[in-house]
Amino acid sequence: MSWRIATRHVSSYRYATPVSASYNEARMTPVASDRQSVLETHVSVRPSATLLRYVDYWSTTVHAFDVHEPHDHLVVTGSSVVETAKTELLAVEVGWDLLHQPDVQDRFAELLLASAYAPADASLTEIARDAAGLASPAEATAAIGERVRTHLRYEPGTTHVATSAVEAWRQGSGVCQDFAHVALVLLRAAGIPARYTSGYLHPHPDAAIGETVTGASHAWVEAWIGRWLPFDPTNDEPVGERHVTVARGRDYADVAPLRGLYHGGALDRLEVTVELTRLG
Amino acid sequence: MAVDDLFEGYAAGPWWDEMLEGPGAPRAASLGLHAALQSLSAADLEERCAERDRSFRDRGITFSLSGEERPFPLDPVPRLVSAEEWSVIERGVAQRVRVLEMFLADVYGKAEVLDDRVVSRRLVATSRHFHRAAAGITSPNGVRVHVSGIDLVRDAGGEFRVLEDNVRIPSGVSYVVENRRTMARIFPELFASHRVRPVADYPARLLTALRAAHPDSARDEPVVVVLTPGIHNSAYFEHSFLARQMGVELVEGRDLVCRANVLYMRTTAGEERVDVVYRRVDDDFLDPLHFRPDSQLGCAGLLNAARAGNVTIANAVGNGIADDKLTYTYVPALIDYYLGERPVLPNVPTYRLEDADQREHVLGRLDELVLKPVDASGGYGLLVGPSASEEQLETAAAAIRADPRAWVAQEVVQLSTVPTKVGSHLEPRHVDLRPFAINDGERVWVLPGGLTRVALPRGSLVVNSSQGGGSKDTWVIAGDADPQGAGTRDTDGTERTAAAALAALPANLRSPDLAPALVTSPKQQQQQQQQQQPGKPGALAC
Repeated sequence: MSWRIATRHVSSYRYATPVSASYNEARMTPVASDRQSVLETHVSVRPSATLLRYVDYWSTTVHAFDVHEPHDHLVVTGSSVVETAKTELLAVEVGWDLLHQPDVQDRFAELLLASAYAPADASLTEIARDAAGLASPAEATAAIGERVRTHLRYEPGTTHVATSAVEAWRQGSGVCQDFAHVALVLLRAAGIPARYTSGYLHPHPDAAIGETVTGASHAWVEAWIGRWLPFDPTNDEPVGERHVTVARGRDYADVAPLRGLYHGGALDRLEVTVELTRLG
Repeated sequence: MAVDDLFEGYAAGPWWDEMLEGPGAPRAASLGLHAALQSLSAADLEERCAERDRSFRDRGITFSLSGEERPFPLDPVPRLVSAEEWSVIERGVAQRVRVLEMFLADVYGKAEVLDDRVVSRRLVATSRHFHRAAAGITSPNGVRVHVSGIDLVRDAGGEFRVLEDNVRIPSGVSYVVENRRTMARIFPELFASHRVRPVADYPARLLTALRAAHPDSARDEPVVVVLTPGIHNSAYFEHSFLARQMGVELVEGRDLVCRANVLYMRTTAGEERVDVVYRRVDDDFLDPLHFRPDSQLGCAGLLNAARAGNVTIANAVGNGIADDKLTYTYVPALIDYYLGERPVLPNVPTYRLEDADQREHVLGRLDELVLKPVDASGGYGLLVGPSASEEQLETAAAAIRADPRAWVAQEVVQLSTVPTKVGSHLEPRHVDLRPFAINDGERVWVLPGGLTRVALPRGSLVVNSSQGGGSKDTWVIAGDADPQGAGTRDTDGTERTAAAALAALPANLRSPDLAPALVTSPKQQQQQQQQQQPGKPGALAC
C-alpha cells in the first residue's frame, strides 16, 4: 500500500532594501529510491530566472539560478508528485563482521567520518560504544534512536540552522535537524555508515485524500546495515508513506534546500511553507 | 686561462654534481660551458652580474619574500641538461600528467579507481582539496591539467626523481622566460656556442592550449582571460607577464560577472563574453557560491557557468586531490593501473603515516627524514629532519600522532649540485628542477627548460623561492632530432610572440598593460555580499 502525495514547498525572502544580484542553488526536488517514485517535479523562481538543472555529487537534483534585476522579494517554489511506500524490513539481519570488513569500511568512508554538523565528541563516542556492544548493527541503530529521543527534548526555537550535534546534545533540546545530527554522530562512532536525509513529513497517518494540509520540512537519517535503512530519530515510528525524501548527504550542509549569496540589503523576513496533499 | 680560477676549492661531495664528474673534470655535455667559465675572471663575472641586476631592475622583476619585494635571485651560472637527459624528463613528465588527468577524470566521474581499490575512498574523502562541487564538471577537450609543474630532484646516482606534483596553480614560468632573456643579454657568447632550446614560446603554447579548451558555445576566436587575485599576490608579476605575453586581458574578480551561467568581463566598451579563464586564484576563493562565501577574489556563479558548458576554468576546479602528497605515493600504482606502464621517473621513497607500521618506522627516525604537510605547496610547513632541533622534532612527532593523514615523510634525497656564484668564486649548491608542462588535449608538451631552484645556504636542501631560494637558467641542449636550437632566438622570440598576439587584438585593447584601468568597477560590488538564509527546518514543526 503506497501513498501518492503532492508537495509544494515555498521559500519566500523579503529584503529591507532591493537586492541587486543574487546567486542561488535550490535542492527541492524529491529523489527516487526503493520506496519512492517521483512522478512529477517542478521548480520555479520569482523574479524569473534561467534555471540550470544538474545532479550533484550526492545524487540530488539541483536548480541553480541568478537574478540581476533589482528585487525586494525572492520566491522559490518546488512542487512534486511522488509515490511513497513503507520501508521494507530487512530480510536477513547482518552482523558486525560485515560492517568491519575493510572494503565495506572504505566504500562508506565519507559516511563514517565526522562532518561539520556532526563532529566527533568524546562523550557521544562513549555512548556509541555501548550501542556497538549490542548483538547486531540493527539493534544498535534502534538503541541509538531511542537514546537520542530520551536525551533530546523536542523544542523548536532552542537551536538554529547552524547548531551542531554536540551543541544540541549539550543543551538537551532541538528540532529534527538536531535529532538527525546527533544520531549521525552516534551511528558513525559505533561504526555504522550513516547519512542525513531531508524531505517532508505528512502530519496525518489517516490523511483524507484530496485534502491539502500544512506539512513540514523534515530530517531523518539512513543507516547502512547491509543495506540502507531509513529511520526517524525524532519520531518513534518507521519511515513510511508519510515521508517524502528530497536529498541525502553527510549532514545538513550537503542538502540545504536553498543556498545562496546576494548583494544588497538585509533580509527582512523569510517564510517557508510546505503544503502536502495526499492524492491517493 | 684567467689568472684566478673560479672553480678553485670547488668541493666534491656524496652527491651528483651536474657539471663536474670529479675535481676539474667536466661531464661531456658541460665541456664547453666549463671552459668558458674557466676563462672568466672574478671581475668579469662580477661585471656580468651587475649587468644582470640592471636588466632585472629595468624590467621591474621582483619576487615577494615574506611580504618584501626583492629582485629575483638569478645565479649567473646556467644549469645544463643534455638532450639524452631531457628526453627522459620529457617522457616522464608527460606520462605523469597523462595519468593525473586520467585519475582526476575518474575521481570526479565514475570513480572506478576507487571501486577497484587502487586508491582508497578514505584518501579521497579526507583530502581537503577534493571538491564534491566539481563532480560532473567536464572540460570540453577533456583537459583538467592545462598547466603543471612536476618538481624533480636528481639523486646521488644521477637519477631524476619526482619530488612532488603541482597541478593546481604552479608558478614560476615567468622567471624561466625572464631568466633566459637576462642570460642572453649577459652571456651572448655562450648562446652562440651552445644549441640551447628556446623557452620564449611558452606563452604562445599556453594561449593555444587555453583556446583549445574552449567550450562548444564559443564563437570563432575564443576569448581568454587571466584571472589574478590582484597586485598583492606574490605571483602578480607572473600573472601580468602571462596576460601581456598572450595578449589577453588580466582581470580580477570584480571585473567579472556571471549571468544565466555565462561569464562576462566588464570593459569600457561594455560587457564581453569570456570563454576560457586561466585562473590564478585558488579553488577556495574562486566562487563564493560554492566555496568561501566571503571571497571577493573570484566570481559568484563561475562554477555553474562551467558546469553549464559556457566557460572553461583552467586549471580545473578540484585538481588538488591529484597533487595531495598522499596521492603522490600512489602515482606509480596509478601509472600501472591506467597505462600498464612503469614510471619513467621514479618517486622519492615516501611513507604513509596512517599506516601504523610506517608511522612507527618514521617516528623512530624522524631526524633522518623530510616531513611534509600533504596539502601545502611552496615549501611551507616543511621539516628537514637532519637540520631540525630536538624541540622541532618533538612538535612534529606530536603533530603526526594527532593527525597522521595530514603528513607524509620522505627520505632525504642528496640533491644534485651545480656550480653557483658565492662571493667571488663558485661553490656547489643543491638544486631541483620544475619543468612546466602544457596539455592542449592533443599532447602534453614539456617546456624545454624549467625553473632550476637553488638552495643558497651551503648544504641546504630547501630550494623554494618562497623560502629564500635562488634560481638558475636551465639550458636544455638541442639533440640531433630537435629542429630548433639556435642560441639567440629567445631574445627576439619573446618580442615576436607578444607582437603577433597583440596585432590580433582590437586597437582599444592593444595595450594589455593598461587593461586594469580599462575595466569599470560597478557600485554593486561595493555592497556587502551576504549569504542567503537557508530555509530552516526549525521554523516549522518537524
